[in-house]
Amino acid sequence: MRSGAPIPWERVESILHLVQKPGRYVGGEYNATSTPWDAADIRICLAFPDLYDIGMSNFALMILYDLLNGSPGMLAHRTYLPAPDMVAQMRAAGIPLYALEDYRPVADFDILAISTAYEQLFVNALSLMDLAGIPVRAADRDERHPLIVGGGHGTFNPEPIADFFDVFVIGEAEAVLLELVDVMRANRNMPRRAQLEALLDVSGLYIPRFYESSSTPPDAVQAVVPTDGRAPSRVLKRMLPTLPPTPVRQLVPNISTVHSRALVEIMRGCTRGCRFCQAGAITRPVRERPVAEVVDAAIAALDATGFEDVSLLSLSSADYSQIHELVPGLLARLEGRHVTISLPSLRLDAFSVEMADTLSGGHRSGFTFAPEAATDALRRRINKDITTADLLAVAEQVFRRGWRTIKLYFMIGLPGETDDDVTAIGDLARRVRSLGHRIVGPRAEVHVSVGTFIPKPQTPFQWEPFADEATIERRQELLRQGIRGRGFTLSWNTYAMSQLEALLARGDRRLGAIVERAWQLGAGFDGWDEWQNADAWNQAIAELPSDTLRADFATPAALLDAFVYRRRKEDEALPWDHLESGIAKRFYLQEAQRSRNSELLADCREGCHGCGIQQAYAGQQTEDWRCPVLR
Amino acid sequence: MSGPEMTLETPARRYRMTFRTVRSLAYVSVIELGTVWERTLRRARIPVRYSQGFTPRPRMHFAAPLPVGCGTEADLLDVTLTEPMTPDALLAALEGAAPRDLYIVAATPVDEAEPALSEQLVAAEYDVWLREVDRDVVQSSAERVLAAETLDLPRRGKDGKTYDLRPLVLAMDPIPDLPAPWSGLRMLLQARTGATGRPDDVLTALGFDTAPRRCTRTRLILETGHSEEER
Repeated sequence: MRSGAPIPWERVESILHLVQKPGRYVGGEYNATSTPWDAADIRICLAFPDLYDIGMSNFALMILYDLLNGSPGMLAHRTYLPAPDMVAQMRAAGIPLYALEDYRPVADFDILAISTAYEQLFVNALSLMDLAGIPVRAADRDERHPLIVGGGHGTFNPEPIADFFDVFVIGEAEAVLLELVDVMRANRNMPRRAQLEALLDVSGLYIPRFYESSSTPPDAVQAVVPTDGRAPSRVLKRMLPTLPPTPVRQLVPNISTVHSRALVEIMRGCTRGCRFCQAGAITRPVRERPVAEVVDAAIAALDATGFEDVSLLSLSSADYSQIHELVPGLLARLEGRHVTISLPSLRLDAFSVEMADTLSGGHRSGFTFAPEAATDALRRRINKDITTADLLAVAEQVFRRGWRTIKLYFMIGLPGETDDDVTAIGDLARRVRSLGHRIVGPRAEVHVSVGTFIPKPQTPFQWEPFADEATIERRQELLRQGIRGRGFTLSWNTYAMSQLEALLARGDRRLGAIVERAWQLGAGFDGWDEWQNADAWNQAIAELPSDTLRADFATPAALLDAFVYRRRKEDEALPWDHLESGIAKRFYLQEAQRSRNSELLADCREGCHGCGIQQAYAGQQTEDWRCPVLR
Repeated sequence: MSGPEMTLETPARRYRMTFRTVRSLAYVSVIELGTVWERTLRRARIPVRYSQGFTPRPRMHFAAPLPVGCGTEADLLDVTLTEPMTPDALLAALEGAAPRDLYIVAATPVDEAEPALSEQLVAAEYDVWLREVDRDVVQSSAERVLAAETLDLPRRGKDGKTYDLRPLVLAMDPIPDLPAPWSGLRMLLQARTGATGRPDDVLTALGFDTAPRRCTRTRLILETGHSEEER
């Protein structure tokens, strides 16, 4: 409920000496908006439900903050989820969650937009609402509470959190959010139900209240169908045919954060088509920002922020078609400024090594590769088009250019994987290390990081089962035996948290009861080893905490089998089928078959493979797209 | 100090910035405050001199680290430039470049040969305002601490080891006439390399470790006898 006043600084200040890293909770960033509260007639709080340190590095929030604050009559402030020590102090002092700009209670905003970028944020979103004093269930809220909007990649299957949000933005929020805000402005005094009905006119919004899960057969996952004639049976993601301008006045944190640098998005989407990768699929079509615009935006952002580094963002930097002009052009413009360029997501090839060398300016931290799998055969199944021979040749160049540490990222539990494929990870790591030893001596290091594959919705592997615990533990043990001794480090994920991610990624609306129960039992910060609470999740699952769950599943094991361990039938309805990325299900099925046949599919810039994106957005293609022209 | 031939209109390459921090910037570490300054100078396009090497660093030196949780009324930062600028030009360029809670008070030319600020620092004065602590208790606790022969406190990050805080507390007096609900102490603490008193530790010795507080460094005292208050 709206209190109409900021929280006095004296109250905020009174608990700061009791918590770690109090700079997270005080705002004061350069380029934060100073528009007075009363100068706006609609106010949006943008929230990232993890620590400030993580959330301040999220570019999507930065884009929306800039966009909303640049729109007449609108005001956007930010909030993040405080660490457990601060949450305890705020509760003890009776201080609700506030936005950082001028310590306004989050509950005072008209709209609360919460990032649901990935599954580990889901339960944190509930913590965030509760700390703000807002009921977590949409059904318990009305027009006196902020409209709660979710957005980000996680909304491509939002069903496990559909009970807690009023609206989800499907796809790119830039256009949708402004339309949503306008509709809310026009309907501010209406009952919540009428507000939501008015929002049905905005395309790209999914309003869970107007849908229900179908119920047959009860132990299968449930498809989602509209209950209101005005709600679309399928929501196609919103997509901007041309990338909108990069925000220039980017927020500059006063404390250290995960990434603290100017950001320019050079490209959205990916043409590579790795079959495990959800981000690459749901962000298609590939759109590139023209090189001159990237350079100008980088310079403008650096001028406006004073950052010492500018990062050029994309899912695969080396695939940016004008990368050969971009990097030297930007380096020339930055001469003498004591500013560095970061180019994440490089590819495994000679050109990428050369570029990293140019950009490093002689400074050598680790060089990172993501071969994902260690054998040519398994890489063919996941469509990662690189051979072991190529990889070793690139690793040799990296050591020759003076790096001493190579970081290798792999996944285990991939479809079609055998124990031999996992043993090969150790073999490959040792071959890389001995190359390094020969070139740079005994200080050569290989860091191996192994994630557990999660079959994500909206990918060719969406029908695949998640690997069982015995298999993953056996393969992790193979890794521990194969990768040890001087010059090696190995890191991996705990099985419990990967299983949870699989459950949340692949679940349907019935899981809402488990999310809420786990949160009540103390789950939160699932991505943090020091705070995650697997026991709370296990207990919540074991309780089957709703009548529906108890009616549909005889045991918790039956529930896990239905959502996590079962191979889904290719003709069954999936809980995310009503949300469309523009890629045709038919294409995913073809890709799943090609995977079983160990067939590679070339980068689609070379020739269209018919993923469906051009048909979904027919007539919208611009020259910035990297889709081949269809005849 | 600056030679007799230098005036405020003389371009110089080494500057001593006097600055205040409040609210949000009282809660940053000294490294983070350095980054805040670095970015402020870069936004202002001040030609700061950088060190050589793979990771060049700007030539900037604080007099003394500000403890996390402590703002300042008059801290000092020396900055070296690649080319001379007048104080007016420097301050004009910095207009609007600092974040909300950093106030740049003065820019004073300094002889480039002068030793580093940290070598000249002798002591620092802090005003610590306390909530929920009775004025009489503040007064009696201060007297008790000042009367002690030694005050053994745990050393930061060194398990089990202690140090004697008492000789580092040069003076401590209640601050009269603070608005309710505040009471407060002005403390003058030694600030020499390797022998620096920290206001948090003084609060621990006083028994006020959990009391809500507002801490402000009010004065830095340099060896030359010069202090910011005398400006």
